[in-house]
Amino acid sequence: MNSRTLSEYRRVVGQPPISQLQQLARSLEGATVVHVNSTREGGGVAEILNWKVPLMNELGLIASWEVIEGNDDFFHTTKAFHNGLQGNSVPLTKPMIEAYESVVAKNAERLRPLLEQADFVFIHDPQPAFLINLCPNRRGKWFWRCHIDASRPNRRIWSYLRSIVNQYDASIFSMPAFTQRLDHPQFLIAPSIDPLSDKNCELSSREIDSVLGRFNISDEIPLLTQVSRFDRFKDPVGVIEAFNMLNGSVDAQLVLAGGGATDDPEGAAVFEEVQEAAAGNRRIHLLMLPADAHRTINALQRASTIVIQKSLQEGFGLTVTEAMWKGKPVIGGNVGGICLQVHNHHTGFLVDTPEGAALRIRQLLNQPDRIEEMGITARRFVAENFLLTRHLREYLTLMLGVRRGIENNLIAV
Amino acid sequence: MSERTENQFMPFEVKDCALITRMAGLGTAINLRELRERVADMPVDCLFHHFCETQVRPAFDDPEFSNDFAVWSARSLRDRVLAERLGVINPYTYCDLEVIRELVLEILDERISELAHFPSVQRGEEFLFMSATTVVFSTGILLSSPDDFFRQLPHISHSSIYYHFVEARRRTEHAGDDFSTWLTEYGSMFQDVVDTLSRIDFYYLSLPLLHDTIIREVGGIAVKVGHE
Repeated sequence: MNSRTLSEYRRVVGQPPISQLQQLARSLEGATVVHVNSTREGGGVAEILNWKVPLMNELGLIASWEVIEGNDDFFHTTKAFHNGLQGNSVPLTKPMIEAYESVVAKNAERLRPLLEQADFVFIHDPQPAFLINLCPNRRGKWFWRCHIDASRPNRRIWSYLRSIVNQYDASIFSMPAFTQRLDHPQFLIAPSIDPLSDKNCELSSREIDSVLGRFNISDEIPLLTQVSRFDRFKDPVGVIEAFNMLNGSVDAQLVLAGGGATDDPEGAAVFEEVQEAAAGNRRIHLLMLPADAHRTINALQRASTIVIQKSLQEGFGLTVTEAMWKGKPVIGGNVGGICLQVHNHHTGFLVDTPEGAALRIRQLLNQPDRIEEMGITARRFVAENFLLTRHLREYLTLMLGVRRGIENNLIAV
Repeated sequence: MSERTENQFMPFEVKDCALITRMAGLGTAINLRELRERVADMPVDCLFHHFCETQVRPAFDDPEFSNDFAVWSARSLRDRVLAERLGVINPYTYCDLEVIRELVLEILDERISELAHFPSVQRGEEFLFMSATTVVFSTGILLSSPDDFFRQLPHISHSSIYYHFVEARRRTEHAGDDFSTWLTEYGSMFQDVVDTLSRIDFYYLSLPLLHDTIIREVGGIAVKVGHE
């Protein structure tokens, strides 16, 4: 797990955000907090927990991170939940529900004592959600933390999950648009990035050049990069279509870099489709990277002229935040959290089609000054609002608020 | 008030605040009629959030309007006439949120009467009603004198500025800011600083910009009169 301390973050964010955390945490000293998700590596949730749990501990809380273990049937079902929450039409059969509930029940045997005794329990995404049904003697407050764009969920999937989620004391969504009709309070906490993680820290030009060299990527040709899992919702094939539409009008090369996650069984199939779409084009580099290739991804983003995130559906879109932190304009899909981050003509462009992406790539590559201006604006916005200190502050505020009575609009601690 | 020496005054305790936002549970609005219905019924905390807490919420953009109703009218309804009418409302010029509610309802009624039909927004662009809880905490910083205030001003957080300079107007009887209230205890000695603070048109500035403005304006006076 991440071992960076608050004093290291102070060098990046300054003293006031660190003091805020310390002051808020005083009123929560000794509180036990448990986070549960379904994977230790790969994906935004694991990355967030990797810094959040140690920092909560440094602030005087007693925080831990538990990962539920599952088999193939379990992960196929939870992938269906994931896709269904994002609005895909997916089947939900009785055997799938049985596979899901039985795996969570096995995990509950191991986790129950810890969870039932905790002051605050944060259950991340649908995979471990059913734990609440199996922990009847809950002492603390339980939150369901949804990191997914659940704005238009598949009815059948949501109907099943809603019956579980409604049992929580509250839920947390990344954006107002992702919230649902639920019987409890729904809080809003946007995610964030860790500026000191391998994925976001400063890198030497030597290290960046070495990564480019390793993958035979030219450092003389403008680089367009999309970093995301090989997932249909990220539309990697659409990015290739956009790149092909440039048709030599501007000199560019494209990198599609994807990491795998242990809870995503579809990745390999989508990667094959992408390989087929890119076949024969030497300017397109497809990189299937291991889950821990954070510095490589960092180097690719830093080497990029423009970062692309042409998702068709998206949660918050942390790869967009990462790119903006590195001072890159982003051409992003007009969906989910990308709309919160990319502002047309200011931090990049929102697009709905491969044609739109091709148009904006051409526009920007012909205006190097605008690329730089947009990059400066993008980095400033992330620095002010979307680094992990703000994220952690909101969790502490939430815990204090819930403990003191959230119905009050002003609470002094 | 007789003027006292600096060490006879109470120090200023710098506080800070953090916001946690939640859905207000009021459903959504997809057109002007629905917005009007919700505004008429919403709790004042919800109205306060959409008018006054926009400055302290994390945001990627620096929108052209300071309240959420105007932003939604411009971005989602694409009704710039309405957006400008709503956008010019400065909630801090009214002593009661109910007065602001009436004003918003009047503007909406007027716009409804002007339009031949009511455009509805697309799915995903509905107005979503929110409210927030503010947790206030001490920073551990005590300003022993106005000179100390001038020195420390650049180093306190943007959200402390929000709490003492903006949110104070909701909390205090005279609807003023905490810095001016404290400085007034020194009699006329810092009246020019108090006057300068009162002239800052804070509602239309983002918090970083407001912080910079206060530093610039107050710092300028402090240098002029030798308080640095």
